[in-house]
Amino acid sequence: MKLDNRTYPALFSLLYIVTGWLWLLIDNLVLTVWMGGAAPALLPTVLKNTVVIIASGGLFYGLLRVHIHMTCRTRQQQEEIEEQLCCARDDLETRVQERTTELLKMNSTLTQQMASRVQMEIALRDSEERFRQLAEHIREVFWVYGIVEERVLYVSPAYEEIWGRAVQSFDERPLDWLEAVHPDDRLRIQEAHVDKHRLGHLDVEYRIVRPDGAIRWIWDRGFPVRDQTDHVYRIAGLAEDITARKLAEDQLRRQQVDLARMSRLSLAVELASNLAHELNQPLAAIVAYAQACLTLLRQGHTDPRELVGTFEGVVNQGLRASEIIRHLRQLVQRQVAMQTPLDINALLHAVIHYAQLELRQARIDLHLELTESLPKTLADDLQIQLVVLYLIRNAVDAMCQMPEGSRQLIVRTALASADWILVTVHDTGHGLSPEAAERLFQPFFTTKPGGMGLGLPVSRSIIEAQGGQLWATPNPDSGVSFHFTLPVYAPAHSPYSDHELDAHRLPH
Amino acid sequence: MPTVFLIDDDPAIRDAVGLLLRANGLAVETFASAVDFLESDAVQRPGCLLLDVRMPGMSGLDLQKRLQEMDCRMPIIFITGHGDVPMAIRAMKAGAFDFVEKPFQAQALLDRLHEALALDAQERRRQARRNDVAARLALLSPREQEVMERVAAGQYNKVIAADLGISISTVEIHRKRVMEKLQATSLSDLIQMLALVGGE
Repeated sequence: MKLDNRTYPALFSLLYIVTGWLWLLIDNLVLTVWMGGAAPALLPTVLKNTVVIIASGGLFYGLLRVHIHMTCRTRQQQEEIEEQLCCARDDLETRVQERTTELLKMNSTLTQQMASRVQMEIALRDSEERFRQLAEHIREVFWVYGIVEERVLYVSPAYEEIWGRAVQSFDERPLDWLEAVHPDDRLRIQEAHVDKHRLGHLDVEYRIVRPDGAIRWIWDRGFPVRDQTDHVYRIAGLAEDITARKLAEDQLRRQQVDLARMSRLSLAVELASNLAHELNQPLAAIVAYAQACLTLLRQGHTDPRELVGTFEGVVNQGLRASEIIRHLRQLVQRQVAMQTPLDINALLHAVIHYAQLELRQARIDLHLELTESLPKTLADDLQIQLVVLYLIRNAVDAMCQMPEGSRQLIVRTALASADWILVTVHDTGHGLSPEAAERLFQPFFTTKPGGMGLGLPVSRSIIEAQGGQLWATPNPDSGVSFHFTLPVYAPAHSPYSDHELDAHRLPH
Repeated sequence: MPTVFLIDDDPAIRDAVGLLLRANGLAVETFASAVDFLESDAVQRPGCLLLDVRMPGMSGLDLQKRLQEMDCRMPIIFITGHGDVPMAIRAMKAGAFDFVEKPFQAQALLDRLHEALALDAQERRRQARRNDVAARLALLSPREQEVMERVAAGQYNKVIAADLGISISTVEIHRKRVMEKLQATSLSDLIQMLALVGGE
């Protein structure tokens, strides 16, 4: 048993009780002994007291034992409870610790999230700032069109620089920018912008007239902006001032045209010079032979038989001269070795692209009436391009004297029959006089100042070399139509497939 | 006999012009190219060249240059075709005798050919005499050469004798020998001979 604060008073009181009892017992025993001698009468009473004292001592002892026993059991239980309590406390502490860790963790996560949220906000603000800086400082006009709002939501300040009009005018007059578009381009651009709402795309080039009268070229592109449901709700676009580039392009193309004309001219000069030299040789020989004959004949004593060889020389050189001329003609009507299957509509598109500048400069309206899904034709594409280009230029020249607005060029394709493709170039020019119509295809006949009169005859010989025909008809109202036919390509009859023919053309 | 050497790549021209020139009494030899001509012995022979300016390979102008390098002074008449004027001008600047345009006027060509042949003959005579004089000069002894140079420079015998440290009579003997060896008849004859050789 442990001695603690509670045990000491109990021990003292027990000691006190035991001491008291022992004193009573000894007193009684002494009394008994004394009584036995002195007063034996009183001895039974004293013995009875002694017995009572001993009995009470026994009773006390019993009680003490019971108490001690009881106390001991309580203690044990207490200890057990304490132990349990201890365990419970430990457990609680562990849990608290765990919870604290958890809370700390959550706290740090929250802090992080908050930090990243703040960073995102900063980044967003930065990107917005950057966008604004970009939008407001780039030379291109940046615009945003709201499809639902049906108006332009944003236009960058470059608009004022390029268009020479205020950005605010968009709020007051939404179509202000369109009024600035050159009258010739306006209809086309209006259509393109209507289409833009439907397609979400825009890619156009047009001219604008600034308030100061200056003309600028604009390249305007738009791209769809989609919401989360992938629905196009805005169109964002860039409008760029491409005047400088356009001017450079125009100049380049003009130079190319000039160059082509020059090279054609110098080619003609060179051809003529070569031809002159080639023909001069037999002519010089013929003259020399004839003069030799004259000399011999004048000497008076010549045997005519001696002159036979000389005259044979004259004949041979005459034939040689005519051979040179025949060779030249063959050169013009070049062979048909470069024939490939070609799509005449694609060819026309390519040529018209090349001639566009000339058409625009001559203020000619072009109408393409191309029959779709035409069969291919077998021809030399470069030569056919030359013919088409020549016919278009011819039409341009024919219409340049006509009043503006009446200059219409129609290029048409059709299937004339199962075997022939027909191409027509129709102009609204001054037409042909009867004399001109008759001599149209004769070489060196021309109605144009500076013309060589070779375009149409060469074109005709090119088309005829491809197996087709080229002719002209007067139009009922005004101008002339030139028509040419080309044979339909039937690959079944060809020993080569398209692919093989292409492969033959490509350099390996 | 002086010959016209005709060089043209066109066989018809060679045939026809050859015939024309022969009918007019000229000796003609034809060549198909400049190289053929250079490889023959014709370069050394008397005559003139009738040369096509435009030929494949070595052109007429190239041959003209080549001949000058070889110190051949045969006169050249160029044949030019249509549009060869710039080439004709270059040929003339380089010392051609003349040029004729195809087709030729026969008489004009013949006249020019005769003139060219005459020039060549004259040139050859001058050359022959030059060679002759040079051969005679080679016969002189060194002392005679010294005396001759001073005589030709117009010095008196007295001055020459003092100059060379010999007697006047010795100078006179040397002088007589020089005139004999060079076959000069007079002082002016001697000076002419020396001028002819000195041109070289």
